[in-house]
Amino acid sequence: MELQKFYYDNKIVKAFYIATVVFGLVGMLVGLTAAIQLFYPIFNFNLQYTTFGRIRPLHTNAIIFAFVGNAIFGAVYYSLQRLLKTRMFSDLLSWVHFWGWQLIILAAAITLPLGFTTSKEYAELEWPIDIAITIVWVIFGINMIGTILRRRERHMYVAIWFYLATFVTVAVLHIVNSFEIPVTFFKSYSWYAGVQDALVQWWYGHNAVAFFLTTPFLGMMYYYLPKAANRPVYSYKLSIIHFWSLIFIYIWAGPHHLLYTSLPDWAQSLGTVFSIMLIAPSWGGALNGLMTLRGAWDRVREDPVLKFIVVAITAYSMAVLEGPLLSLKNVNAITHFTDWIVAHVHLGALGWNGFLVFAVLYWTIPRMWNTTLYSKKMANAHFWLGTLGIIFYALPMYVSGLTQSLMWKEFNADGFLVYKNFLETTVAILPLHMLRAIGGSLYLTGFILMTYNLIKTAYAGKFIANEEAQAAPLAKEYVATSGGWHYRVLENKPILFTVLSLVAILIGGIVEMVPTFLIKSNVPTISSVKPYSPLELHGRDIYIREGCVGCHTQMVRPFRSETERYGEYSKAGEFVYDHPFLWGSKRTGPDLARVGGKYSNSWHYNHLLAPDAVSTGSIMPSYPWLFEQTINLDLTAGKINALRKIGVPYAENYEATANEDLKKQATEITSSLKADGIETPSDAEIVAVIAYLQRLGKDIKAEKVAEQP
Amino acid sequence: MKKLFSAFLLAFISLSCLAQSAAKESLPATPSASHSLSYYVTISFAAVVFILFIVVLITLTRVLNLLMRQLEKQRAEAAGKTYVPQLSWWAKLTQQLNDAVPVEQEGTIEMGHDYDGIRELDNHLPPWWKWFFYITIVWGAIYLVVYHLTDSLPLMHQEYDTEVAQAKTAQQKLAALQPAAAALDESTLVYSPDAIIIGRGKEVFAKNACGSCHGNDGGGNSIGPNLTDPYWLHGGGIKNVFHTIKDGVVEKGMPAWGKAMSITDVRDVAFFVLSLEGTKPANPKAPQGELYKSETKAEKK
Repeated sequence: MELQKFYYDNKIVKAFYIATVVFGLVGMLVGLTAAIQLFYPIFNFNLQYTTFGRIRPLHTNAIIFAFVGNAIFGAVYYSLQRLLKTRMFSDLLSWVHFWGWQLIILAAAITLPLGFTTSKEYAELEWPIDIAITIVWVIFGINMIGTILRRRERHMYVAIWFYLATFVTVAVLHIVNSFEIPVTFFKSYSWYAGVQDALVQWWYGHNAVAFFLTTPFLGMMYYYLPKAANRPVYSYKLSIIHFWSLIFIYIWAGPHHLLYTSLPDWAQSLGTVFSIMLIAPSWGGALNGLMTLRGAWDRVREDPVLKFIVVAITAYSMAVLEGPLLSLKNVNAITHFTDWIVAHVHLGALGWNGFLVFAVLYWTIPRMWNTTLYSKKMANAHFWLGTLGIIFYALPMYVSGLTQSLMWKEFNADGFLVYKNFLETTVAILPLHMLRAIGGSLYLTGFILMTYNLIKTAYAGKFIANEEAQAAPLAKEYVATSGGWHYRVLENKPILFTVLSLVAILIGGIVEMVPTFLIKSNVPTISSVKPYSPLELHGRDIYIREGCVGCHTQMVRPFRSETERYGEYSKAGEFVYDHPFLWGSKRTGPDLARVGGKYSNSWHYNHLLAPDAVSTGSIMPSYPWLFEQTINLDLTAGKINALRKIGVPYAENYEATANEDLKKQATEITSSLKADGIETPSDAEIVAVIAYLQRLGKDIKAEKVAEQP
Repeated sequence: MKKLFSAFLLAFISLSCLAQSAAKESLPATPSASHSLSYYVTISFAAVVFILFIVVLITLTRVLNLLMRQLEKQRAEAAGKTYVPQLSWWAKLTQQLNDAVPVEQEGTIEMGHDYDGIRELDNHLPPWWKWFFYITIVWGAIYLVVYHLTDSLPLMHQEYDTEVAQAKTAQQKLAALQPAAAALDESTLVYSPDAIIIGRGKEVFAKNACGSCHGNDGGGNSIGPNLTDPYWLHGGGIKNVFHTIKDGVVEKGMPAWGKAMSITDVRDVAFFVLSLEGTKPANPKAPQGELYKSETKAEKK
């Protein structure tokens, strides 16, 4: 058959890789800033836009969606064309995808510091941006599937399976989790409430890790590793088995983020067992990667690209073993809400994602510029700085997590908590937080070295915007050859393949979510739980805006050490009006689920103004702007209406009189503050925040009172 | 390289275990819990030394192996035989566990696929991996049966109830052993300026951050009242102060400390608070509540 001549589009790959490096630098710098704030709180320069609560989501979003996201797109656009022997389906769509994604990142970089956030982890962006993400993601999908349909290679290589699974699953996750009702252009409430919101969020959060940080990277590994090592893939059989088992099982494991919470026991158990079953499928990918290097281990010593890949796969294997172990109830009881989890995710992000991206960049850039790497020595230095950085990051965080957890749980002989004052457990781990920042700096230094190295490489070569290639077109008739049923039946049918992966990933989510939503016994109602008052609602929205949930949980777990410290453990019925849920995932500060009535209004006033003055040694930042900014009363009616629409039982026409109630409650608080000698205007944001904090946990206490007579 | 790698992994794991056990052990030893930087530096240093030790050990073993092999080779040559290196037990084991076709014969299991130059082999699923997968699936099934079908093991709320019941029993036993402490209550309590008790009370005051509302010197702040003047919101004198600390004034933000610390601790800190009367704090808050004199003065004599 006659060979056709065509050109690979390298320009789009170049654009995505430049974005990868730029946003990698930005994301890591923000991360380092946040890390420093955790032992030196004034490092936010007393600005509301740079407080920890607001820049933590900026860091996670920048790393996941800007750095890793752009890297995925770059790698997909590079490898897909070559694996299918064709140019991308549409250059226009490629560029709309590129610029659309960068605009989303820009929007995130502006809105997150301004405090526009849904508070749901890794899904913080507000609804207009959510819509933009959906559109751009679909464009990416059309472009990818279009390319596959125009291929000159009959069968799809395993890397493409992973790309397809990534596309369909992320689309499903994003759309389902982002159901929200808009209040204003930059404010919405999650469609789901409490336990259900938590389940949906962690189904999303866990699988964002699975299908944004894992499956596309396995696809990348399957392309770049055999290319760089020039070795055949170890086992095709293993590829098939671990691909299908991985995507099917992964989706079930979300509830392991909610062990010992108000989530029903059966859902927690599903999370645990599927996490354990996930070890082998995850290891399957690592195994296939490492075994592919058989006969090339001598080159690993020489080649920085292979070195990075090997450590990336090792970090991956460790993280995917650690994750399931953390899903065991007895381990989770100790590690949940602590720095251990921070260490775990960074082992994955710095080791697996970061190192694989570095390998891809070191391999691709010289090829696209038709030259060799500027300095291998510098790449090796980067490798060691990065590896040391990971160790210095992870080890202190493991120790810190364990130390804090043991201190939280320690009882003395009299049966009382040894460290009643939560602050003691925070102060104890500060030196470890310092070490962590050093680890992060080492890693960042390596990254800067790589940036310089890559720029020098590019300047030394000449960029090939359109790379020439030749291949025969697909024959009209498909002659089935050997290669197994999977090869003949599935690998040449991209649409069927996509649909089957969709089915595989839908099962787990449906089995876990539908009963939680439909069967009432999963969320037993508590009659004393009432919707928030208008003032409390404003306070709650400020709590969300400031990202308090980044450091404070609202979930007392059923352990004696927690009920002694915080009060009764949390019940599912308490959260039925919580749109969104605010259980949190990390206790840098104490749990707040039962803080209502624990302190006086003046305590909260002083504490939010200057935490360190009230609790000596506190690393909580101060919030002076809450005392200057005022509550926007015009929004009250919109908030009430939006919440009523999604099932919060505010009385009809309540929005008309809501502000009167609000003012009444505000005056009560200001007069109580006045009694303690504090003058504050009743429309200051601090009043709403105090109202909200004083409400937390009160409903269930009210029930107790009602029961007694 | 692979060996070196697994050794590194081993060192990494044992290192983290070391760090963990160190952290665990140190906890009861340092009740103040202020782990100093030097503590962590020492731990890190020990860890580095440990890694170096492992690295040296591995290198020595490798050198030894190399020498042994050379020796065997020389012997074989001297005997006129061709030298066939013996497979190490590790190599044999991995061969069995992975069931891989050797690199030299991999041409026999080529799939004939070619994707941009990438070829694929058709090695068996590694048996250890396959069996491990099966075992986790069986484990998962057993887990669900045990917890949800046969109810053989307690779920979280049952676990919690058991934990609380056990603690309660332990506390009752302890109370039975300490009749003096158990008998402490406001009706019989009498204040005396006992330096030992007051000293302990001062520690309790500091450790529980009483100062965050009452000032570190007891002078009060915009949250809580001054404890150094003779004016009291909820009554002065040891009986009232003890009662206020023990049961709290929860609606005003004063916690019921009797629920969070031993009754002796409550007594100690009450003594300390009474001992503050007449001291000169830096920024005393204006008096609140009613003047209280009779009993305190009488007791102090």
